[in-house]
Amino acid sequence: MEEQKINIGKAVGKSESNNDFNFKKFAWRQFKQNKPAYYSYKFLVFLIIIAVLSPIIATDQPLYCKYKGVSMFPAFSFSNSCEIKNEDGSIEKIQYDIAEWKQLDATTIIFAPVAYAPNKTDYNNADYVSPGGKQIFIDKEGNEKPMPTKFRHWLGTGKGGEDVLSGLINGTRISLSIGIISMLIASFLGIILGAMAGYFGDKKLQTSRGSFWTVVIGVVFAFYYGFSVRSYNITDAFAVSGFAVLLQLIISLVIFTFILFLFYLLGKQVGKISFLSKRVFIPVDSIVSRLIEILISMPLLILIISISAIAKEKSMINLMVIIGLTTWTGIARLTRAEFLRISNLEYIQAAKSMGLKEFHIMFRHALPNALAPALVAIAFGVASAILIESALSFLGVGVPPSTVTWGSLLNAGHEQFSAWWLVVFPGLAIFLTVTIYNLMGEGLRDALDPRLKK
Amino acid sequence: MLQYILKRVLIFIPTLIAITLLGFIISVNAPGNPEERMVTASQNDGSTGSQSLSQIVEKKRWRTKLGLDLPVFYFSLTSVSRPDTLYKIDDRNEKEAIDRLISIYGNWDDIQKYYKSLNKFYSSQLLFVPDTNVLKQHNKNAVLETMNQLKFEASAIKGTYDKTVIEVKMNKIITLLSSYPFLEKFKPEFEKVRQDFLSIEKNASVWKNYIPRIAFYGFKNQYHRWLFGDGGKFSKGLLLHGDFGTSYVTRQPISDVIYSKIGWSLFFSMLSVLLAYLVSIPIGVRAAAKRGSRFDKSSSIILFMLYSMPSFWLATLLLMTFANTDALAWLPASGVKPALGYPDGASFWEMVKISFPYIILPAICYTYSSFAFLSRTMRVAMLDVVNQDYIRTARAKGLPENKVIWKHGLRNALLPIITVFANVFPAAIGGSVIIESIFTIPGMGSEAIYAIQTNNYPMIIAILTITGFLTLVGYLISDILYAIVDPRISYK
Repeated sequence: MEEQKINIGKAVGKSESNNDFNFKKFAWRQFKQNKPAYYSYKFLVFLIIIAVLSPIIATDQPLYCKYKGVSMFPAFSFSNSCEIKNEDGSIEKIQYDIAEWKQLDATTIIFAPVAYAPNKTDYNNADYVSPGGKQIFIDKEGNEKPMPTKFRHWLGTGKGGEDVLSGLINGTRISLSIGIISMLIASFLGIILGAMAGYFGDKKLQTSRGSFWTVVIGVVFAFYYGFSVRSYNITDAFAVSGFAVLLQLIISLVIFTFILFLFYLLGKQVGKISFLSKRVFIPVDSIVSRLIEILISMPLLILIISISAIAKEKSMINLMVIIGLTTWTGIARLTRAEFLRISNLEYIQAAKSMGLKEFHIMFRHALPNALAPALVAIAFGVASAILIESALSFLGVGVPPSTVTWGSLLNAGHEQFSAWWLVVFPGLAIFLTVTIYNLMGEGLRDALDPRLKK
Repeated sequence: MLQYILKRVLIFIPTLIAITLLGFIISVNAPGNPEERMVTASQNDGSTGSQSLSQIVEKKRWRTKLGLDLPVFYFSLTSVSRPDTLYKIDDRNEKEAIDRLISIYGNWDDIQKYYKSLNKFYSSQLLFVPDTNVLKQHNKNAVLETMNQLKFEASAIKGTYDKTVIEVKMNKIITLLSSYPFLEKFKPEFEKVRQDFLSIEKNASVWKNYIPRIAFYGFKNQYHRWLFGDGGKFSKGLLLHGDFGTSYVTRQPISDVIYSKIGWSLFFSMLSVLLAYLVSIPIGVRAAAKRGSRFDKSSSIILFMLYSMPSFWLATLLLMTFANTDALAWLPASGVKPALGYPDGASFWEMVKISFPYIILPAICYTYSSFAFLSRTMRVAMLDVVNQDYIRTARAKGLPENKVIWKHGLRNALLPIITVFANVFPAAIGGSVIIESIFTIPGMGSEAIYAIQTNNYPMIIAILTITGFLTLVGYLISDILYAIVDPRISYK
């Protein structure tokens, strides 16, 4: 059946254009014909634009402000304050993040389309004001007025007067980045491990006894210098920021790989000694399969929550790494199955007989043909990563409490049912995002399967 | 077949060990201080910042009881600069402070000297009671306040590794010691602490940190004790007696807590699987049998939407609509029975009748996602079957369409959805964390969340281990069921 699949693909290509058949173009055409998937793709592009622009779409800092003759661009500025000289020589300092922009007596001021920050309170409209309800605005003179259209809370407010629309827009960035970054980690792990398991199986990766044990000892050393020695650097980074953690982890990984590589080179020499030169098989497939088995037999949500409970400081980067480290199994399984099939095909045998190196064949010749199922798994994986993140924020565990996300907005709605807008809109956002990823996953699966050609 | 099962069971063992190890790693690194939790707050005698002697004794007792005074594992990867006996330090913060001092300076001998003299000074402060004559001469409250401050600063130094902070605190202690003449006698003792600290830096040997070493601890370690017990003194061990340890929250055995909580989770997961099968098999089969019909298309869309629907959103929407006094207050919002419990002497059926409204909404939320998944799987499996030759043969020989589909087709299409049944029991242990906490169902899911919020790690390891074990057993059972349903599969 699987053999047939390839043949059909080729045959179709020949009949269409005689010279070269481009599978990518073919798949893209197929994908475009699948209307739900194609529109999902377009919607995703729209969401990504919103996510990227969210710091200037939904912020209480104006895009442009001219005050006492000084022009400012607070929303674009990296510095947080501006000093203005008054006529009498005194200096007035405006702090961008806490200034009362809406009450400022400015010559010209241009606000963002949604003129509120996600976690800032608007006391005049506190205590759950509905989207259509009466909203109050205090103008420069301190008079109470009905809300002008440009400052309206279009989707209502939360308990402290937080703007829901602004929370949604900023939540888009968090959700999408969680989904994408955690899947980057997961697909890196999943594709490499799955490829090795499928390609080498249990009986194909051979090495000498000496170099095998040298590398095993090397793993201990690499772990020691990469992680044990640096453990306090990594824990201290948690107190600084998510990026510091990421940086420390990357440094550790680089040290780990470097030392392992040294031991690999050493192992090659050790393997030449007569007693140690006996060939042994490395059961790559068994090892990877056990790893997958361990991970999938644990309840994912509980595992993620309890791992993230270890970190003293909660941050989104932690969560991305943890989700990535626990959800690669699906990608690995599909990649493994695909490599299992590919490694028996003729062109791989041909490459081997030409004396190409195993890793070269694996990543240059086999991988491009095995990526399709992994791509489908990644699309579904992004959907489930977003679901996991919003479930955790909904439960209020494992995520930084100050961050406004779709899940945390929904949780606020769960506390107060009369504020239906806090339940409906964030839920709808999660639902739509998960749906478009699932639709795209289905679309990809159909498009990449030549048997289903329309 | 038997051989295959045996082989699978053998493969289980390393996987299970790895699962327990993973749980153990998590619990060892977890925040919180179990023995502190066990010593209840009521024993606090009001002395701020320092610990009374009785508390220290009580904590020590709990440490032995919970096995926290043992090394964590059979061996550990450590450095030449670290001693094997570091685990013996009771206080977690102190242990970390010492370990960090070692990682900064690398000379255990000097650090040990410093730590010992610091401890001596601290305990001399704890034991010191100014005699009555002295108290008469000075303001009594001020003296006691100074004493408390001394204890506080000394214990703060014990938990600190930052050089500048330690120096500041040491200077403060010196000034405190100078404030009363009767405290002067401690000065030489403290001066020694100070000298010892300075000599740590002087004799630093950082290079020792970069030479790895494996320390062996033998069978007297926490993991071994967890598996095999300590001869029945405090723990019977998991392997022989199913003892998962003691809950840090209620001090009950973990197995008792699980036993009391698993009922509802098991009930809901069984119910949901039953309902899901009852609904999804007919829908999936019908959609496949009439492929492309309006029923197929509409059910596909609805199922797809249900499939992508986050369970917590659906649950909140349902609660908002049907259990909300502003909208429809048809059903109760939380729990599985009235807050006051069942009336006295209620029969089983009465209890069912009372609980029924409580069960409806959680049951819907439990069911819908597996229902959507099952129907979609069923449809795909059935489509595969319907196109096969033997179905065409069955039609050709004139069998009625219903019989072809339901009798000849269904049996072979059931294969893929057997897998789902294997997940019932593990799902009951893991519980549906989200649904149970939304509806406040007293099951394993809420217990898991509660355990994580209260750092009750023995509970979490137990949940991870049992779920892992049951999932593995579930896979084995579904593999065997496969072989029974489909004679083409043989395990050789």
